[in-house]
Amino acid sequence: MKSFEYGDREIGPIEMGVTVSSMIIGVGVLSLPRNIAKLTLSSDGWISILIGGIISMSVAWVLAKFASMFYKQGFFAFASAAATKPVAYVVTTSLALYFLMYSGYEVRSIANIAKQYLFERTPVEVIALTFLLVVVYAVSGSRVGLIRLNILFLPFVIFISLIVLVFSASIFHFKDLKPYLISDWTQIAQGIKGSTFSLLGFEVVLFYVTLMNNPKKAPLATVIGVAIPTLLYIAIYLISVGVFTHFALFQVTYPTIELAKEMQIPGEFFERFESIFFTIWIMAVFTTTFMAYDCAIYAIRSMNDKLKHITWVFILSPVIYLSCMLPRNIQEFQKIGTLISYTGIIVAIILPISIYIVAKIRGVQSDAS
Amino acid sequence: MFKQLFGKNRSHGKSAAMRLIATANQEPKIQQPLASQLQENLEIIQTLLHRPSDLIIRQFSFAAEELTCCLVCIDGLVDSAFINEQILKPMLRYGDQAVGSVEQSFYILEQFVLTAFDMEKAETMDNSIQAILSGDTLVLVDGLAQALVISSKGWRTRAIEEPQTEAIIRGPRTGFTEDIRTNTALLRRRIKEPNLVLQSYQLGARARRDVVVAYNAAIAHPELVKEVDRRLRTVDIDDIEGSGYLEQWIADSFLSPFPVILNTERPDKVSGAIMQGRIAIMVDGDPFALIVPITFSSSLQSPEDYYQHWLITTLTRMLRMIAAFIATFLPALYIALLEYHHGMIPSKLAFSIAGAREGVPFPAVMEAFMMEITLELLREAGLRLPKPIGQTIGIVGGLVIGEAAVAAGMVSPVMVIVVAVTAISSFALPSYAFAISLRVIRFGIMLSAAFFGLYGIILAYIMINVHIVNLKSFGVPYSTPFAPLFFKDWKDLIVRSPLIFMKDRPQMMQTEDSVRLNKGNE
Repeated sequence: MKSFEYGDREIGPIEMGVTVSSMIIGVGVLSLPRNIAKLTLSSDGWISILIGGIISMSVAWVLAKFASMFYKQGFFAFASAAATKPVAYVVTTSLALYFLMYSGYEVRSIANIAKQYLFERTPVEVIALTFLLVVVYAVSGSRVGLIRLNILFLPFVIFISLIVLVFSASIFHFKDLKPYLISDWTQIAQGIKGSTFSLLGFEVVLFYVTLMNNPKKAPLATVIGVAIPTLLYIAIYLISVGVFTHFALFQVTYPTIELAKEMQIPGEFFERFESIFFTIWIMAVFTTTFMAYDCAIYAIRSMNDKLKHITWVFILSPVIYLSCMLPRNIQEFQKIGTLISYTGIIVAIILPISIYIVAKIRGVQSDAS
Repeated sequence: MFKQLFGKNRSHGKSAAMRLIATANQEPKIQQPLASQLQENLEIIQTLLHRPSDLIIRQFSFAAEELTCCLVCIDGLVDSAFINEQILKPMLRYGDQAVGSVEQSFYILEQFVLTAFDMEKAETMDNSIQAILSGDTLVLVDGLAQALVISSKGWRTRAIEEPQTEAIIRGPRTGFTEDIRTNTALLRRRIKEPNLVLQSYQLGARARRDVVVAYNAAIAHPELVKEVDRRLRTVDIDDIEGSGYLEQWIADSFLSPFPVILNTERPDKVSGAIMQGRIAIMVDGDPFALIVPITFSSSLQSPEDYYQHWLITTLTRMLRMIAAFIATFLPALYIALLEYHHGMIPSKLAFSIAGAREGVPFPAVMEAFMMEITLELLREAGLRLPKPIGQTIGIVGGLVIGEAAVAAGMVSPVMVIVVAVTAISSFALPSYAFAISLRVIRFGIMLSAAFFGLYGIILAYIMINVHIVNLKSFGVPYSTPFAPLFFKDWKDLIVRSPLIFMKDRPQMMQTEDSVRLNKGNE
């Protein structure tokens, strides 16, 4: 039906920025302060996050620049032209696998945390299954619909974070931030690695650039999209250190949620605000999950579009469910998380950038020119 | 025979003519041309209409040539005083003057005799019969295969009254009536611009109901007009009984609980929508006009918003948003907090709730469902009963449920408060259709809260959002202007900014003429 369409399949720079931010903000930030605090001393972690953010922003800029070269033909077609078909197949398949693992990881995390903060008796399997079913419902819709969901959800997520940060002010102690700048370079570098893991996700620009109406603005939008979570992370980290002290911080599994537990809301309307906070945060994790899922399907379909989008949704959902149920305990699960992050850096950043360089050297025709 | 008379609307062309040739020649056909013999024509009309009791056939002689004339119309659909004064009287008083030949009689009638203002010629039986059924008067002259169709519509209509469903404090008191001419006139009186297009359709293969599409040609997006036209042409049903039928036929999705077409009884709301670049569809016999396309936020706006001071309106709109939230989520939140997350309720309140619930034998879910269903029953019963008894239902129901049920230990007083606040909130919404859809959703969310607590509520909320971003109303995403973002349209969203700031028409409507202010300076 050709009907009266309102710029469907067209997203502007604001939408792109919001998409990148929504992808990055997920479960990572919930445990981020602890992970950084483990690696650095005192309150110096913010330097790591800042440098990590700057590195991520520059990498994101390069990736977006690369992405804007193929906004019409898509990643796979361009990669085939730039670096032969077999290479393109390998890279796109591994991207699809990476995104699948990514969404599985998010599903399992949400189930774990929900069990800890919302339910005592409900089994993890059931929590994960319901979450995955809602994700499947979202992914079955249009791709532009997913972008719109990001726009609807991100304000809630930012808003609830700001509430937590503002109302934590009363229990925040400046003296806990001291002493400043005592970590040495290796510790800072370790922290940078940890924070860049939490800032992964901007690689979605590779797949969503095809929806943009003005791909030239993609790099700036992506950089802003990375900047928002970076600022948020720094704020959350500093407040966490000021509230819990550096020493106590790495005893807490999910410091960001515990922050919501400690803070005081005037009016005493709710107790245990962390449940509300986590409930809202499910939206943030949800956006990350469905985008990863959608990108995986998009990557697969760009190589072979014999099956319909919806068919792939149903084929892959059991795969995601089984893969996210594989880790038996928290240790295995965290190992998988680290593995996914390393895979992401190789598959979604280093490989595409190498293709970019090859394309530049060989002078492959881009869509932008 | 019946089938041939009221054959499908669009089969008037070749196919019907073919059928005509194929069948026997004796039976009268709707498609045939008028005969030149008056008696034959009358006989065919009588047969085709199944010799109805309300058909008036008045024969008389005309002019010096003593031409046999006949006047055919349907009693009750025509204005008899008008026919007497403007058709019958002039023709009978024409007296003995000559008209020349039979062929000239029409010319004389049209030019010098009849004083009616709207006249046409008909040459086929189809047009003649359609005219009679629409309330026109047919004048036939013996010896001519032609007829004069004189517009003489006049039936009893309801007076223009205040709309029942959308009462407002400040603003016009007029509401649409069942008569489409009255309604289009009401619109014309509000918009005196030549660009106001009133396009007529006859929909429903058998009943052929009049439908009018109203829009402003200088504002509405041409693609949108085309889309409305396309969807109206797909209507293939014997009769659209009212605007509700049409709404369901042309709506984007029949699975969605949300209304993607707005209905209203208010001419000011329709004219306001037309000025924003939307399109109104009116159906004869129904005082409700349809407005397309709409978005989620349209259902939370009332025409009164623009008549009041912007500050008051802004506050009211926020209130409506809160009302929509409460109407959808409050019982579910109650269930979730009570069954899963007692810890979240402040301890003092938790104690009093626990105290009040002491002795209540059911879990919160059962309690909530029982009360919600009772309330829906009360509402339904109040609707059905005649007005004087309807009020007693409210009192009896309120007393029984409010007092006795609590006293009997069936439900807790907190639950009564929750249910009552929910009901009041859903009544506070300006769009009835929207309030109903929230009611439907509320039960779903209550169920998910019963199974998964807060987690279930947020998943349900996410699902509603997923549904809304994929839903469209005539091509416009239902979540506009939140997503896709149209920041300019936020001036008239939650905050209704002062009129001088609303310089443009809604950007999401992609209007042809986007500026609304300073039109006089051009």
